[in-house]
Amino acid sequence: MASAAIGKRKVQWAFLLPALIYLMLMAILPLIWTLTLSLTKWHANIMPKPQWVGLDNFKYFLFEDRRFWNALGFTSMYVGISVTGELILGLMLATLLSQKFRGKNFFRVVYLIPMACPPIAVAFLWRMMLHPDIGVINTILQTIGLSGVKWTTSAKVAPFTIIMVDIWEWTPFMFLALLAAFQALPMELYQAAAVDGANSFQMFVRITLPLIAPVIVTISLIRVIDAFKLFELVFGITGAGPGSATESLAFYVYVIGMKWFKLGRGSAVSWLFLIILLIFAIILISRFKQKRTT
Amino acid sequence: MQRKLFFALVVMICVLVPAALFAGAPEKEEAVEGEVDLSVPITVLVTDPHIQVVDTWKPIWEAQMGGKIEVVLVPYATLEEKMWLEFRTKTGSFDIACVPVTWLGEVFGGGHVESIQNYMDKYGYPDWDDVMPAAKRITQWQGETMALPYDGDNHMTYYRKDALEVPEYQQRFKREYGYDYHIPPANWSEVRDLAEFFNEWDWDNDGEIEYGVAFIAQQNSQAMWSYMDICAQYTTIAGPPSNYTSNIFFDTETMEPLCKTPGWVEAMKMIQELTNYAPPGLLGYGYSELRQAFVSGNSAIAFDWGDIGIQEQKPVEYGSKVKGLLGYGPLPGAKKYYDRKTNRWIEKQHTVNFLNFGGWVWVIPKAAKHKDAAYHFGIYMTNPEHSLLDVCGIHGYTGANPWRWSHFKATEAWVRGGWGEESARNYLKAISDILQDPYAVPDLMIPGTPEYYTGAGSSLDVHLNAVLSKKISPEEGCRRIYDDWVRITKEKGFEQQKAFYRASMGVK
Repeated sequence: MASAAIGKRKVQWAFLLPALIYLMLMAILPLIWTLTLSLTKWHANIMPKPQWVGLDNFKYFLFEDRRFWNALGFTSMYVGISVTGELILGLMLATLLSQKFRGKNFFRVVYLIPMACPPIAVAFLWRMMLHPDIGVINTILQTIGLSGVKWTTSAKVAPFTIIMVDIWEWTPFMFLALLAAFQALPMELYQAAAVDGANSFQMFVRITLPLIAPVIVTISLIRVIDAFKLFELVFGITGAGPGSATESLAFYVYVIGMKWFKLGRGSAVSWLFLIILLIFAIILISRFKQKRTT
Repeated sequence: MQRKLFFALVVMICVLVPAALFAGAPEKEEAVEGEVDLSVPITVLVTDPHIQVVDTWKPIWEAQMGGKIEVVLVPYATLEEKMWLEFRTKTGSFDIACVPVTWLGEVFGGGHVESIQNYMDKYGYPDWDDVMPAAKRITQWQGETMALPYDGDNHMTYYRKDALEVPEYQQRFKREYGYDYHIPPANWSEVRDLAEFFNEWDWDNDGEIEYGVAFIAQQNSQAMWSYMDICAQYTTIAGPPSNYTSNIFFDTETMEPLCKTPGWVEAMKMIQELTNYAPPGLLGYGYSELRQAFVSGNSAIAFDWGDIGIQEQKPVEYGSKVKGLLGYGPLPGAKKYYDRKTNRWIEKQHTVNFLNFGGWVWVIPKAAKHKDAAYHFGIYMTNPEHSLLDVCGIHGYTGANPWRWSHFKATEAWVRGGWGEESARNYLKAISDILQDPYAVPDLMIPGTPEYYTGAGSSLDVHLNAVLSKKISPEEGCRRIYDDWVRITKEKGFEQQKAFYRASMGVK
């Protein structure tokens, strides 16, 4: 009996082992490696070996580096506005396209196109469209008598340009998930509400929203985590400028690590980045659990 | 026992099979002196537009030598990380690379590339005396030649003759501004006035609005050199390299950045003001956008490397509408400069030539697989006859500008490249005057240069762009750059940086 249990455990381990080895090699070891690196000074292009500096890199970012806080500020603002915008627009589109009308399927497909494009291609597409001299958008504005907008070269406008493009690209994701959620809603509740005299708005607020709330939390969480990694749009559209007006955390990590080859600092800022994301993820997941419990 | 034997066998197979796979075939024997196997494959790392040069010579080399040239083409924005990845990982992913000299403080200083001197001694070099001193200077590190020269880079002035040379406009300008301007403009104050004067009206009567001035202003591109064109004039005066002459970046005694000095601030104010008289999309102008816009006729004055001149000659390829309409000159000077010795402005018309960017060179990484063949391919592309065809326009826009004495003498080749004879002479004179200037200020070439100012996301790039977009004041921009530069110098090692800087300037 006992030997059968041991044999069973061995089989279980045999099945688990490849996944565990993969996880160790691909996730845990790099994390430990970057954590170790984050405690060193290593300008890899001129220093052959890292030099131990303890927590200096973390102190530098948290207390001395204005650019880190600027990048964090922009990234947070971008995540807040763009995910909210995508959610609202996605909800509106999903509500609209869950109704019955002719050509509904055509629009459902068309709205998915932006999400299917590679982000770097989206960035260059918009960069050309927003070009101040030859861009189609300014040309249209000027044709109808309006003045051109400095989409990418004004420090006030450029952050909202990035947000606008992100909303264009990722609203379809929200729309798709919410549409699926709408289609899974039980019709009986609506029929009962109609019998009780509820109007469309009341049905939406009292029935639809509470029922799709878990979906909203889940897709928002996914989008928040994804949006925090903003890189391609910044790289392709504004180059993080003007100045550092649209510099995201991910772009800053790239500059430190890949442009200046400061691997110690790059690892430290990556860890800070990871911690911020984890805090955010934990808060959202715990709220989601609370919601399910209640 | 049998089980142990089986286990040992399995372990041996597990170790030996991958070892055999990864070991690969034994390396071919190294070429002995004078006998190099040129039929080996050579991998070339190159960026646009220098690919044009490689593409031209690749098939001829392959046909002549029986070798194979593999080209790794990357955009300028990602060249740096591609190069550093190889230098750090030492995988031998390329044998020869075309890189800008502004990175060479770290490339040479970090010992990542072969000394070319050894190859020159071993195989010779095609007419070293033909290479101009400025082009030699940028290939050297601590007295040793580390790269193959390939490009002579400096900014120069381009102006529209059908604007600045029109008597009616000259009279109007004098009425409005009270003086006769020089052609080309002698100083940045004149540039500002001319840019204002020619801004936003149709001075060439083509039915379109033109603008005053254009230059590279895009972030993550090469805007910093547009600023340094101006900065050099207000910060120093030409002379034998010393702390107070032909020096624009650091105090050579204290290694304190000069970024907060009145000269830098004045230049920052000037470049910010010039954006008022430029095309609306100026802050989106990288080098490609600037060249395209200027040769399509949208501005009266522009500042660039020698490439606008090449594109000017090619109406079909580059849509040039200004063939024969451009004049050329050195960079404008200034009516004053800030003398740090006496801490006061000196009112004096003067010009400082600045070797912006310094140019592109070919380097052979330490881990290259076929170094000897790579050297031979390098000198094959850059020998006097071949390089002339690459710089004069016969091979189109290659990004390489003249750098050998012979390039400046062969006017007939330039005419074959599409130039008018007089245009070619004027263009070559403007460039050779700068390259021959013994007091021309060399660009910064010390470790950390990409972080100080030449790389994407560098301190100067970021804060300059904030000033150009009027997000911060020129004074604030200079203060931020100063703070960053102090920090970077401290991080890299104060004494080491000082020694590198003094050596790069030729200050004992």
